[in-house]
Amino acid sequence: MRRPALVAAAALMLISLVVAAYKVFSLGYPLVPSAPVYVWNLKFEGVLHGVGKNTLLLLSLPSEEHGQIVIEESIGSGNLSFSLLKEYDNRIGVWSGKTDERGEYISYRASVLFQHKGATVPRPPPPGPYPQNVSVEDRMAAMEMTKEWLLLNTPSRLQTVLRFLKKSDINKPGDNNIARLEEALTKYDNLTRLLMLLTAVNIPSRTVEGLSLSEGTTDRTLVWVEAWTGQRWEHIDPARMEGIPAKSLFIPLSAGGMSAVRTSGGELTQKRFDLHRSIMSRWLPFLERVNRSGRFLDRWSLFRLPPEFQQTFRILLLVPLGALLIGILRNIVGIQTFGIFMPVLMALSFRSTGLLYGLTIFAVIILIGYMVRRYLNRLKLLLIPRMSVLVTLVIFCFTLLALIGNKFGFREFMAVGLLPFVILTMTIERFFVVVEEHGMKTAFQTALGSTVVAVTTYLFIGWEPLQITFFVYPELMLFIMGLQILVGRYTGYRLSELVRFRSFTGDG
Amino acid sequence: MLQRFRKLREAGVLGMNTRNAGIIMTFNPRSRFPLVDNKVITKELAARHGIPTPVLYGVIKRHGDIKKLDSITEGRDSFVVKPARGSGGSGIILVTEKKDGAFFTQSGKKITMTDLIQHITDILSGIFSLQGQDDSAIIETLINPDDVFASVAFQGVPDIRIVVYRGMPAMAMVRLPTRSSDGKANLHLGAIGAGIDLASGITTTAVHRSVIVTDHPDTGNPVSGIKVPHWEKMLLMAARSLEMTGLAYVGADMVLDRDAGPLLLELNARPGLAIQMANRSGLLKRISRIDLAPDEAFLTPESRVDWAQNHL
Repeated sequence: MRRPALVAAAALMLISLVVAAYKVFSLGYPLVPSAPVYVWNLKFEGVLHGVGKNTLLLLSLPSEEHGQIVIEESIGSGNLSFSLLKEYDNRIGVWSGKTDERGEYISYRASVLFQHKGATVPRPPPPGPYPQNVSVEDRMAAMEMTKEWLLLNTPSRLQTVLRFLKKSDINKPGDNNIARLEEALTKYDNLTRLLMLLTAVNIPSRTVEGLSLSEGTTDRTLVWVEAWTGQRWEHIDPARMEGIPAKSLFIPLSAGGMSAVRTSGGELTQKRFDLHRSIMSRWLPFLERVNRSGRFLDRWSLFRLPPEFQQTFRILLLVPLGALLIGILRNIVGIQTFGIFMPVLMALSFRSTGLLYGLTIFAVIILIGYMVRRYLNRLKLLLIPRMSVLVTLVIFCFTLLALIGNKFGFREFMAVGLLPFVILTMTIERFFVVVEEHGMKTAFQTALGSTVVAVTTYLFIGWEPLQITFFVYPELMLFIMGLQILVGRYTGYRLSELVRFRSFTGDG
Repeated sequence: MLQRFRKLREAGVLGMNTRNAGIIMTFNPRSRFPLVDNKVITKELAARHGIPTPVLYGVIKRHGDIKKLDSITEGRDSFVVKPARGSGGSGIILVTEKKDGAFFTQSGKKITMTDLIQHITDILSGIFSLQGQDDSAIIETLINPDDVFASVAFQGVPDIRIVVYRGMPAMAMVRLPTRSSDGKANLHLGAIGAGIDLASGITTTAVHRSVIVTDHPDTGNPVSGIKVPHWEKMLLMAARSLEMTGLAYVGADMVLDRDAGPLLLELNARPGLAIQMANRSGLLKRISRIDLAPDEAFLTPESRVDWAQNHL
């Protein structure tokens, strides 16, 4: 009787291990997909309207010179011709040709991998020339004024320049030079002032244009200044004259003062940059670059899904694990839960509300629902209308919560989403039935059990290394299935039965 | 902890997992469950196998049949109305008296004919069946509980549960209502479960909310040492459930009527495990002993009862 189950379980586990082993040993998959590596999917699009015969669009593209590895890129150029150009450190895509009256839709897509700090040592450039529009007298004034600062080490020199430009620390009032310099500076914009002073104090610097590294869509690029302090590039926001914390990241597109998007003989409208993050282990960029078409299993990898669906599957692949967990907690430990999958669904909905709010919302709505259900019992309604009333109640509560959340600024109250209303309705009904048939105590035990299982599941499915493991090796689901079959054949005592039958073990 | 597992195993306690995967799935074919889920079918089957049940006055299956209620209750002062698929005692009305064309329950509450018709309509619509299926209303005779348990029951009707394995009575208990169980013979709600010795039909140990007790908490009378009348007959009725349903693991619920004697109320295809505490004895031990019984012991209900009484 036990045999066929054991055989099935063993077969499933074996298949999953064989596939995984093939991936590891033959395809060079990482055995332990460690910390996730993010791949940024950059998309640029716009409509180019030409006025003359030859319209040009120059777009700075991500490049290795900027510490980016382009894994994949594709260009949409319509009727225009496209070519690549190298301009100093910048890689530039050039669209050229004649556009029709309605304009030409052009697009660029790339999957970009960021090299982490230390992956490439940036080359220290020579101190740059003064910006071209700065007059010779002003250059002299700047050099004269900042002579003493040259004695400081590079980082403090940079700080002094920034403090000076912020006008927060002028320690020699009345000094002629300073007055002259201040007067000279007023002629220029922030960016020029900064570059000018950095050049004067011998700090290599450059202007960089790019995008802030955060998911979303934008139509504007950012401009910042990078100053070389001896070990690394310090990022400076020229608008505020402050260093940008190292942890905020950017995708540089164009360095050296050139604009990232330039047109000639035409105009670009509906310009937008789109950034999306997807996850990738270390091996894949390598694999993609070396072997773009890939082997069969690579081509059928979940990484080939569009990034917006990848996220769903990362969670989805852990649901079987959650189900296994419920099997273990119910059949081996003996925790009572409402329904079979209700805790898993609860855990999923906690992902949008967060644990604390989620639990509170569940508890409050179930209590309200229970009161209403008690009252409904006296009305003796038919099953389906009765459940309809409860669904309406639950959604009414959601609406109230959202309005309250909006009023008092609790985002989580609005994030209840679509998922949990069915579970909540069923749970109210189950709670009521359990109270009626087994008493309040059992009902609360069951509620507690459901909570324990839901929280455990929530912690499991939120664990990133586990998500990645299953994402890289979806075949592990078969292994889980095998374990599920084994749990299904566990006919031993439940841990809870040690307590229930304690009168037989002699210590109760 | 492992030691405690071993103790449970040594005591032959049946756990939930073994009950579900090892016994119910093996011995109770799913196709037979409808026979015990609907009390109308159970009653018909019982009648065919000579097992007495409370006398049936009538069944109302459709809304159109409600007018039959008049003729069914004609000339009867007391009767019970209950849903065929009800569970946990919901939807049951006990009419004990009829005066001036109106009915009265045990507690003296007045019920008019219109109330009763409304209640039956509710039953037919499936309000008391948890899955909401359409249901039928059963109208049958009111039980007058035998006095044997009068000293140890608080209101309500005590019922006797016999767990039958492969047609052999394996274990038995009587469920005694208490004040906290609200007169219901339901262990979850606080009724007392008292084990019954299969051979003698005498109550042995008892459990109340998983604590061993000797006396009834409301009446204060000892619950052990009570001789259950018609014991052999009850065992035989329970043993016949195998022929009746084809289910090899059932809990037969019976009551003792003062005049009619033992009556089968219903059969349960998933009997609970609490009976083990009431008897302070493991079901698995008895089940494995039954599995070792010689083939001829299984031949007839009589031989099965005989073997069980002598060997368990």
